[in-house]
Amino acid sequence: MEGIAQFLTVQGMQAFVNAHEWVWPVCEMTHYVGMSLIIGIIGTLDLRIMGLFKSIPIAALRPLVPWAVVGFIGNLLTGIVFVTGTSSGAIFYINNLSFQLKVIFLLLAFANLVIFQISGLERAVYATPAGGNAPAAAKAVSAFSLVAWVLIIFFGRMLMYNDTLLLFLGV
Amino acid sequence: MLAAVLDYLQDLPLANWVRSSPSIFAYTTVLTAHAVGLAIVVGVNTIIGLRLLGVAQGIPLAGLRRLYGLVWIGFSINLVSGLLLFIAEPHAMAAMVAFWAKLMFVAIGMIVAELLQRLYFTDAASVQAGLVTRVGRNLAIISLVSWYLALIVGRLTGYPDMVNRWLGLSVGST
Repeated sequence: MEGIAQFLTVQGMQAFVNAHEWVWPVCEMTHYVGMSLIIGIIGTLDLRIMGLFKSIPIAALRPLVPWAVVGFIGNLLTGIVFVTGTSSGAIFYINNLSFQLKVIFLLLAFANLVIFQISGLERAVYATPAGGNAPAAAKAVSAFSLVAWVLIIFFGRMLMYNDTLLLFLGV
Repeated sequence: MLAAVLDYLQDLPLANWVRSSPSIFAYTTVLTAHAVGLAIVVGVNTIIGLRLLGVAQGIPLAGLRRLYGLVWIGFSINLVSGLLLFIAEPHAMAAMVAFWAKLMFVAIGMIVAELLQRLYFTDAASVQAGLVTRVGRNLAIISLVSWYLALIVGRLTGYPDMVNRWLGLSVGST
C-alpha cells in the first residue's frame, strides 16, 4: 500500500496544485459537471430501460451517451489530479475506506456495463420502440447501474468524512 | 434582525443534530443527498436543454417534458437538504457571496424551467410537429447557463476566503 501510494503521489502535480489555489476548486467543479452528466444521462437511460418515460424510444437517448462519456473522462482526469496532487499524499486516498468503496463500485459499474454490451442486452434495449418494454435482464442491469452510481457519489462525498463511516461501521 | 433569525435557526435542535451528531445520517448523508440532488437537477436539465438545441432529436418533445418530474424530485431533495445544511451553519452561509449567487442562479433556473413549460411546451402544435421555437431555444440556453453557473458558484461556497480575496472583500469571521 505504501509503495502504491508513493507511486501515485506525483511531486510535480503536488507542486502545481500547491502553487495555484484555483486548481483544486476548478477540478472540483469539473468533477461535479461530470457527475451531473453521468447521473442525468445514464440515470435517465436506466430509468427508461426500467420502464419509466415509455413515450421516449430508448434509442433516442443514445446520442446523449457520448456526453456522459465525456463527463466520465473529465472525472477520471480530475480524479487523477486529486489523488496525485493532494498535499496529504496519495496515501490519504489509498487508506481511505470511502475511497476504496468508491473504486469498488466504479469497477462494478464498469463490469455491469461490459455485461450489458457483450450479452446482447444493449442491442435488444436499443431496439425497444416507444411504449415498449426492455428485457427483464436489462432492467436488472439498469437498476444495478443506478444504485452503483448513487453509491459512487455517496462514497465520493464521504471521503472527507471517512471517520464518520468508520464509526458507523464500528471498525 | 437577520442575526437574530440566524441565531434562532442555529439553536434549533434539528440544526444542532445536523451539525454535531456523529451519526452517518446527520451531516454527511445530508451533504451526499445534496450532491445527488444537484446531479439530478443539473443533469436532467442538461438533457432538456441539449434536446431543445438540437441534440438527440429522436426524443419526442412531449416525452421530454415528462422529464421535469425528475427535475422536481432532484429539486425537492435539494430544498430539504439545503435547508438542513443552511441551519447547521446559518451565519457562515449567510456571510458568503457565493451562497447568495448560487440561490439566485437556482431561482433563475427554476423560473426558466417554468417559463419553458408555459411558453414552449404548452404550444401543442410545435411540440407535436417536433419544432423548437425561438423562445424554446433561447430559454434552453438561459437554462443551461444558469444551471452550470449555479453548480460553479455552489462549489465556491467551499472556498469563502478565496472568493472574498478575489472580490477584494475583507475576510469576515464567522
